[in-house]
Amino acid sequence: MTNLSKRLISQDWFPLLLVTLVGALLLAIISNSFLSAYNLFVMLRILSVTSLVALSQMLVIAIGQMNLAVGAIGGLIAILFGGMLEVYGLPIGLAAAVGLLLGLAAGVLSGALVAYTRISGFIITLALLFVFTGLNLGITLSIPFYKMPQALKDLYDSYLGPIPSILLIPVLAAGAVAGLLYYTRPGRHMLAMGGNPAAAELAGISLSRTTIFTHTLSGGLAALAGMVAVARLGTAEPTIGADWLLPSFAAPVIGGAVLEGGYVSVTGTMIAVVIIVLITNGLLLARTDPFYVQFFLGALILATVLFNRWRSSVNVASPETTSGRP
Amino acid sequence: MGALLEVRQVTKIYPGVRALNGVDLTLRAGEIHALVGANGAGKSSLVKMLTGVHGPDEGEMRLRGEIVRFSSPQESLAAGIAVVHQERNLIPRYSIAENMFLDRLPTRHGVVQHAKMREDARRWLDMLEVSFDPATPVQRLSVAHMQLVEIGRALSLNSNILLLDEPTASISESDVDRLFKVLRRLRDQGAAILFVSHKLEEVMALCDRITVLRDGKNACNDRPLEGMKKVDIVTLMLGRENAVSDLGVRSQRLGERRLELKSVTTELGHRDIDLYVRAGEVVGLYGLVGAGRSELAKAVIGSHGVITGGEVLIDGKRTSIGGVLEALRKWRIGYVSEDRKGEGLILTHSVARNTAITIWHAIAGQLGLVSERGEESAIRPHLERLDVKMTSLRQTVGNLSGGNQQKVSVAKWLAADTRILIMDEPTAGVDVRTKGYLHQLVWELADSGVAVLLITSDLSEMIQLADRIYVMNDYRVVEELTNSREYDLMSSSIMNAIQIDNDRVSVPKPAAALA
Repeated sequence: MTNLSKRLISQDWFPLLLVTLVGALLLAIISNSFLSAYNLFVMLRILSVTSLVALSQMLVIAIGQMNLAVGAIGGLIAILFGGMLEVYGLPIGLAAAVGLLLGLAAGVLSGALVAYTRISGFIITLALLFVFTGLNLGITLSIPFYKMPQALKDLYDSYLGPIPSILLIPVLAAGAVAGLLYYTRPGRHMLAMGGNPAAAELAGISLSRTTIFTHTLSGGLAALAGMVAVARLGTAEPTIGADWLLPSFAAPVIGGAVLEGGYVSVTGTMIAVVIIVLITNGLLLARTDPFYVQFFLGALILATVLFNRWRSSVNVASPETTSGRP
Repeated sequence: MGALLEVRQVTKIYPGVRALNGVDLTLRAGEIHALVGANGAGKSSLVKMLTGVHGPDEGEMRLRGEIVRFSSPQESLAAGIAVVHQERNLIPRYSIAENMFLDRLPTRHGVVQHAKMREDARRWLDMLEVSFDPATPVQRLSVAHMQLVEIGRALSLNSNILLLDEPTASISESDVDRLFKVLRRLRDQGAAILFVSHKLEEVMALCDRITVLRDGKNACNDRPLEGMKKVDIVTLMLGRENAVSDLGVRSQRLGERRLELKSVTTELGHRDIDLYVRAGEVVGLYGLVGAGRSELAKAVIGSHGVITGGEVLIDGKRTSIGGVLEALRKWRIGYVSEDRKGEGLILTHSVARNTAITIWHAIAGQLGLVSERGEESAIRPHLERLDVKMTSLRQTVGNLSGGNQQKVSVAKWLAADTRILIMDEPTAGVDVRTKGYLHQLVWELADSGVAVLLITSDLSEMIQLADRIYVMNDYRVVEELTNSREYDLMSSSIMNAIQIDNDRVSVPKPAAALA
């Protein structure tokens, strides 16, 4: 037990977990309705989308780039998914598979553009943000697809035994991404590229291939997020994804990711998503003006970045003393 | 004994420079071979060729007798040539094991086998007789230990040819001993090792044979080191025929001491720095790479490295220079950086902007606006004086030739009308004509009353231009010489001063020298 708690405390994300628990406790004290089944369910619904968005961005951060088109890809796939269901009446499974493939394809496109033009990923994905958003609005004329099949809503609200199915989405996605990053060659190559691109290349890792691979996965996760959002809202709205950019960066950064690449924390990112949901939810419960949500989110990002800087300066202060021959 | 790797008559031409001109090199199994030469002699061009970064323009390379041609670093690596670069190439957060096997992580059903990898790494670490835990992240290791990890990686690739580029540049004396022990053992096991270094004592202590490069040619090829003395190597490095070309006679109108340092120490580790430059004088600061010359210059202008002790005097008055801006505006000290592309110029901006950057405050109009016409009229005379070849003042500096870029990076200090000009490697990487031009300019500037402090690793340039020479070693000024402009005499006194100082400090090496 002591061993386990020691390991827990030594984790990078442990302070975050404390913040989350304290925050949840405070909310439970302030508001009777916080722990109500309905409220927990509402939070879980937000969590299901935001966690996918955060993981999508986190992968690109891992290789030292950014993907501004996360929301645009999610939004485009969301309305294509809705269109396939409403206009063409495709089965949900098939529509979801096609949506996922299109999301991966969008990722291949942005990855290949970044890898082969060697133009900064910031600019490429900024351009694609507008391209995908423009396609979205051109197809929908900004009118949502309203008639989603009842089966989709039922699936979203279903239970696997006592567990709501939508809880599986963040859990499975996080598990898969963590496994990828720590236990597969492509995942190790991604973090190596983020950590020191020159060294990775000299060691024989193809930076182009790794870039394309990463953007492809990021596109796939963004597409999943878009389709889950459709299920959650019950309509395929063209505005899906428009407000994802801020949380997509906020969660990995609060979770401890190094923006230059080379280090991300899946657990940290997921806890950060919970914190973001708590802030959003808590401020509503406390009847605060919802416009202040962004203020608190910004303050939290600043606080965590400063905290991480302080912590790494404490750790790095004496590299020689820890380097000795064991 | 047959050669493992043979380089025959290779030539490499970069725009405007013949970096290698018919060079030979031979590496044999079971030998440590030294490659030495002054800066710009072609060592790094040769290493780049061996490691597949650049192909040769002429000549051939034979590996075990067969002609090879590498078009990428991966190909050279696959052929069994491993290189440990001067700077470290590791993923900081990754473990020792993972850094060693990064390009061939062992997997089972697609899952990376971290435990197996650590076992494999253990084998190679044992071979190097080091006992690190292979799971340690490399960012916790010292530079010397990181270097051993890179050597371990090279061994794990089954490379029997190992190139080490300045491996002792940033590690301590005891780590050097450890490294040498490892290298000798590898040699005895049959590896061919190329040791590139400018530290001659280490070359003498470690290597079996030597190849010396000078001006892109072999000054000696594959010679046994036995029976050679340090002075023989120095002579080969510098050459005797390198006569001083005629610049005319220096007028000796020297003024008062304009810049003077008295017992200056810096946080970078400089000690006992005593020097002065008089108005109208060209004073040289000579030393080998790592002697702390550029660092001293930057500390003086307040750009990097705080002066912690001693006195800085300008025009005989004790002063403290608060920063680069103050150095320029108040004391009119200019610094021509050795790193033209990194620090000297903004490559994507125009010639006019790059030159006028030092005087924008002076030529700005009443609203603080800088007009293009104002810029051009202020800088045109200086660019014309330097004969900068350009299509217009609005041409992007990055598109000029190296020599013309260097002229622009000097021109901005002419425009600023500096009274003290520090020139750091002003002719590095420029063609012969531009070199002559810049040499002429240094003397003209001095004649017009500027105090010039010249830092150059080109000994013949130093002896040609300077009136007096301070020799630096190990972050100290170890000798002051009046320049007789007789090449043989001066070069041997300078090299002697450095060697004597090296012998003096070689036993207890203070930590500051590693800064």
